Amino acid sequence: MNQADLSKLVSALRIAVKPKPRLLSCPEGPAGRLKKLRATVTALVKYERIELNYPRADEAQGYAERLISDAIRNGDCHKHTMEMADYWLNEKQLVHKLFKVLVPRYQNYNSSFTRLVLGPKTYPGYYAGTAILELKGNPFPALQPENHNYHYWLHNVLLEEAKKEFRSAREERNAGTTESVTTES
Amino acid sequence: MAIVEHLASLLRKPIETSDEAGERSVSTQKTEDESGNTVIVAPPEFRFMYPEFLPDPAPETRNRLREKLERMDMLQRRSVIEIPEFYTGSIMAVTVADANSPNKFARFVGICIQRGGSGLRAWFILRNVVDKQGVEILYEMYCPLIQKIEVLRLERRLDESLLYLRDALPEYSTFPLNMEQERRLNNSVVPINPIKVKLRPRPWLERWERQNLQGVEDLNLPQRFYDKAEKVAKPWEKYDLMLHYRKTIPAEEQEKIFAEVHSQLQQQELKRKLRRRRGFDNEQ
Repeated sequence: MNQADLSKLVSALRIAVKPKPRLLSCPEGPAGRLKKLRATVTALVKYERIELNYPRADEAQGYAERLISDAIRNGDCHKHTMEMADYWLNEKQLVHKLFKVLVPRYQNYNSSFTRLVLGPKTYPGYYAGTAILELKGNPFPALQPENHNYHYWLHNVLLEEAKKEFRSAREERNAGTTESVTTES
Repeated sequence: MAIVEHLASLLRKPIETSDEAGERSVSTQKTEDESGNTVIVAPPEFRFMYPEFLPDPAPETRNRLREKLERMDMLQRRSVIEIPEFYTGSIMAVTVADANSPNKFARFVGICIQRGGSGLRAWFILRNVVDKQGVEILYEMYCPLIQKIEVLRLERRLDESLLYLRDALPEYSTFPLNMEQERRLNNSVVPINPIKVKLRPRPWLERWERQNLQGVEDLNLPQRFYDKAEKVAKPWEKYDLMLHYRKTIPAEEQEKIFAEVHSQLQQQELKRKLRRRRGFDNEQ
């Protein structure tokens, strides 16, 4: 039983965080793992939509969300946040993009800042399949079609009620005719 | 079913507002939420003063209902006995009920070298050197056998864990058993003792050169120790954002937990202050 670490305050992430991190094996070992994820996070911030294998995308999503949430929470004058942004973004112009473009974009978001969509899984190929990791609010066309018919829209609610009414009226009519049939016989 | 309903009604209970503000800097902060209603928010120092109220961050063992019930039990215990604010490095005296001792009580004075655990299993270790023998006792803060916890000297040190006192010269861990409570000059700030402890010559219980300790004097080891420490070090962990996230409770959850308990803790503190003042006046 361990006590929670009190040294830093972190905002809650709005993505599902797995209890254990993936090891992402590489020749340099644990040092290389963060190096790989750094490249992924840099590419995500640079291109705003990248296609890569699912396990690395899942890990990088967590780090990207943490970086953006720290930037929103602490701003660019906070020493620790600046150190993290400096480490995680290999290109220094992206640090400016993080604080000047992404922070205002995500300031009032109540959802997560990134979206992880499963991509094609070609056989034979990598077992876990591909994924597309994108920052929300990017300028590209949407990956998934927008749903244009929700059950809670007013006309759908009225139609559902009308259908229920019609069905119950029909049942009553049928019950009435069957009763009259039975009484006759 | 009745028990479940009772618990559900407790979870639905709104946060009570408290109009009294404590003498210390622990004051209520009222903020407005989206609908414009005032919401009580505990001051940020609470997470250092009452760290055992925060649950263990490991998601495999988290159970919101159990944590809520534990917090209720912790507050209940705190209403019976005063568990004062203390930090690693504070000198404390604990009186425990002991059936086998002549006075039926056993009192131990020591410096708090480590504290841990969460919820009702929160513990701290006191260390002292008695008759040239180092003694450490682990006390569970909410154990019903504990009769009294006094903080004789409230201060902090440069490190969160003082386990290196085991390898330090005995004078750094020796405190008189009849030590009296010291009066604090400044009530609102907990002083940090910048003392640098001198360690005995090697062998040690742990490789202190690898731990980045602030509160020890220069270790004066041969260079090969520092080289090996560098080779074995994991400098990338400083930047591992998800590792930190998995070890902490998010700020929003911390605020919720402390908002729940802080009004009751404040009321308890106020009652104790009044009792103490009344007792002082009666003596006079």
